[in-house]
Amino acid sequence: MQPAMAQSSLVEEFTAAAIQAVATVQVIDRSPANLCAAILQAVGDASRILYAPPQELPASLFSEFAADPRVRADATPEEVVNTAAGVTEAFAAVASTGSVCIDVSFERTGIVSLMAPLQVAVVAAENIVPQPRDLFRADVLDGRGLKRDFVFVTGPSATADMGPLVRGVHGPHKLHIIVLR
Amino acid sequence: MGNLVDPADITPRQVANKSDKKALLDAIRMTLSVQSSAVRRNTQTFNRNRYAATALLPDYDELKDRARLIKEQAIANSPELLRQLEAAVRANGGHFYLAKTATDADRYIRDVLLRHEAKLVVKGKSITSEEIKLNHALEAAGITVAETDLAEFILQVADEQPSHIIAPALHYSRERITALFKRKFTTDLPLDTGEELTVFAREKLRQQFIAADAGISGANLIAADSGSLMLVESEGNIRMTMTLPPLHIALAGIEKVVPSRTDFGTFIELLPRSGTGQPLTSYVSILHPPLKAPSFAAPGKTAKPREFHLVLIDNGRSRMREDPILHEALYCIRCSACLNSCANFEAVGGHAFGGETYSGGIGGSWEAGTGTLMNARFSELCTGCSRCVTQCPVRIDIPWLNENLRQRMNALQPESGVKSAFGAVTGSAPEDRIAPLQKQFFANYHVMAKEATRFSSLSNAVTGLPFVRGLMENFVGLDRRRKLPPFPSKTWEQLHRDQPGDRARSTNPGLPHVLMFADVFTNYGSPERGMAAMRMLRAAGVNVELSPSLPDGRAALSQGMIATASQQANGLAKTLLPYLEKGTVICVLEPSVLAMFRSDYEHLLDATTWEKFARASFLDPLQLVLSVAKERGTDLSQIFRAGKSPHGTLVFYHSHCQQRSCDAAWQTIEILRSCGFDVVTSSVECCGMAGSFGYKRDYYELSMAVGEDLFAQVRAAEQEGGQRTLVASGTSCHEQLWAGMGREVLHPVEVLVSTLD
Repeated sequence: MQPAMAQSSLVEEFTAAAIQAVATVQVIDRSPANLCAAILQAVGDASRILYAPPQELPASLFSEFAADPRVRADATPEEVVNTAAGVTEAFAAVASTGSVCIDVSFERTGIVSLMAPLQVAVVAAENIVPQPRDLFRADVLDGRGLKRDFVFVTGPSATADMGPLVRGVHGPHKLHIIVLR
Repeated sequence: MGNLVDPADITPRQVANKSDKKALLDAIRMTLSVQSSAVRRNTQTFNRNRYAATALLPDYDELKDRARLIKEQAIANSPELLRQLEAAVRANGGHFYLAKTATDADRYIRDVLLRHEAKLVVKGKSITSEEIKLNHALEAAGITVAETDLAEFILQVADEQPSHIIAPALHYSRERITALFKRKFTTDLPLDTGEELTVFAREKLRQQFIAADAGISGANLIAADSGSLMLVESEGNIRMTMTLPPLHIALAGIEKVVPSRTDFGTFIELLPRSGTGQPLTSYVSILHPPLKAPSFAAPGKTAKPREFHLVLIDNGRSRMREDPILHEALYCIRCSACLNSCANFEAVGGHAFGGETYSGGIGGSWEAGTGTLMNARFSELCTGCSRCVTQCPVRIDIPWLNENLRQRMNALQPESGVKSAFGAVTGSAPEDRIAPLQKQFFANYHVMAKEATRFSSLSNAVTGLPFVRGLMENFVGLDRRRKLPPFPSKTWEQLHRDQPGDRARSTNPGLPHVLMFADVFTNYGSPERGMAAMRMLRAAGVNVELSPSLPDGRAALSQGMIATASQQANGLAKTLLPYLEKGTVICVLEPSVLAMFRSDYEHLLDATTWEKFARASFLDPLQLVLSVAKERGTDLSQIFRAGKSPHGTLVFYHSHCQQRSCDAAWQTIEILRSCGFDVVTSSVECCGMAGSFGYKRDYYELSMAVGEDLFAQVRAAEQEGGQRTLVASGTSCHEQLWAGMGREVLHPVEVLVSTLD
């Protein structure tokens, strides 16, 4: 199998698994304009958007989005607890489970990916790995999964403790994933 | 049994400690009456999801082997790993504390919080904190503890102990939560749906997350090499607990430590799938705290620097590690598969099948290990059905742990002349003659059955007398509501001997030759079934010889009379060894005996003899027929034609729990279907009879409640296409189905033989 083909089948597997986990997925060609349009479409009419700038993807990719007047990269605590959407990158994703891996050791990534009802995660297609276990291998993604503080995020937060399954508990109620081809 | 309290008036806390037998019996009544439907729905959902999720793992078995190996080595090297971990945590900038006891851990955590002048602490889910009763210790020091996992929140409001390792409030239906919240809170919200209840709790807790001075979490796994934690959750509360406040305390047992963060790769695949049955839960955090990112300052406050404490507790675990039996419980990764795959647990949950903290099959070992032996009394509810063994991601032999707990509890019984005389007469090993009369009665049932069969018409008449049943109930606790199957006038051995010689002994040298094992249950209980099995084998082209009938030890083992079981196993092994050494295949009709030969004997025989058993072929009769037919290219549908069966072609088949654990059930379904039978199968884990369990007065209601799932499946199947012939492979399953459906139950061999001329 060609690497490119292998990658595109991982994107397909990832998309199907993420949808199974009740996330929404959008695959786009990478460009600042495309990314900006995709994020703004996902957040709809949110009056404010929390944003943690990327550490892996080039910041220039987010430049158009970051210029939107609603975007807050340095939100106050009041704003953090009262904002409808939070946008971060994911340094990896997992095809078999539809998970995105969010590095929480950087500045605000943990809080931005956790506090708002809508979570938007942006991941590069080449960083999708087949299985969760791959994040614990030194030879995958340069062993980043072995060094970082991160969270596998699979769908929105959920509980069955109140009887029926309810989505949207302490963490986000919705998860939207943007995959960059 | 007069003056019974209404089960609805019993509170879970009152019956949490089951060192008193009455507490266990009250707890069963309370749970069956109040909690059973919610527990069933939730555990059975987990159970179905787990089967589906693990089936998608192509290397499930290899992962389990690896997980087992990692845990075995980790527990063996525990002291060294703890030293490594301490160094790693300190190098990360965190604090490390190893607490010897529960109070030691409580004191340390309390002091850290007081030093920080913490007033409000948010807690993520931590069952270990229940073990050390942390909330009480903190509240006594004036610290407010907010449980933020919604299940723990419910329990805190209700003042109840957890009923499940991963879903601590799974005994609550939505309706009961609504009633509880309306009773405890003043609110205008309707609280009539899961969403409304969740919104209510979330709003309440979000304020506390923001205001909290500290967060306390547990940890699912800890890596010694890097001080990394793995935390599995779905609600997001654990992430908040660890992310928002400046002070984070993680609390875990020392058994959670594995050598390396690379080991997480194995467990992350197994743990969520084995628990809720999800490929991954919503959030799996992998952290080596303290986090580098700044903590969250509540509006109007300034952010404080982060501080992290890892508090590991021993609290009996080192003693468990030295214990030749209980050390295996330390491999447990707390996934809950053994709870969800347990038919008894599905019916009552952890408030009956559990203690003050731990519940289910593995729970007894944990309560005994971290508390006292008698706290493990609820482990009596383990029937040894073995379904959990196949589902445990670290392959813990949970029934064996429980049989040992039972033996240890037997040994605490007072000595008595009656017990020891009864034991001597019936064949209990000397060290088991201290066991209660009831246990010795069931363990040596074959002795009574042998006598009863010799005088069967008299026995049947006598055991049919109400006052005799009353005596049996009083002396050995045999419930009088159970109809006893009649004793046959001739045993299997006798029927076989009485056959015309050419049929009994004729062999065809070209055909495979097997030894049919004459188990005591069939020999004294349903000899005609044994005869049918032999006839079926001959019809399928197999030469068959019958062994003498000998007790196999199953009954004794299930009573915790391990010495007696071992004595019986070793006696039987002497008879079977010459056959095993020749490579003769042994056919075993009773699945509970098949499981003894296949696995339990590892514990009961010496290593050399077990070696020979482990190498031998022990097969269920239909499993044998299918493999012979496949090997020889025999078309079974030409031998057994469903259309010729006087019982019709519609059957309902319930396979035996241990038969499924031995992977010896699907063959029956395949044969019946290929021969033209229309087969509906049950999907329950166990029928609930489980040998003597369902006969015991104390457990009759529970046994019937478990059976009700099976009976309901029969009724559902029959509602669609009319009455079906009931077919089951185990002696106990026959008795249970007979009791529940009130009609004849056949063994698959009888169904097949009925098609012959």
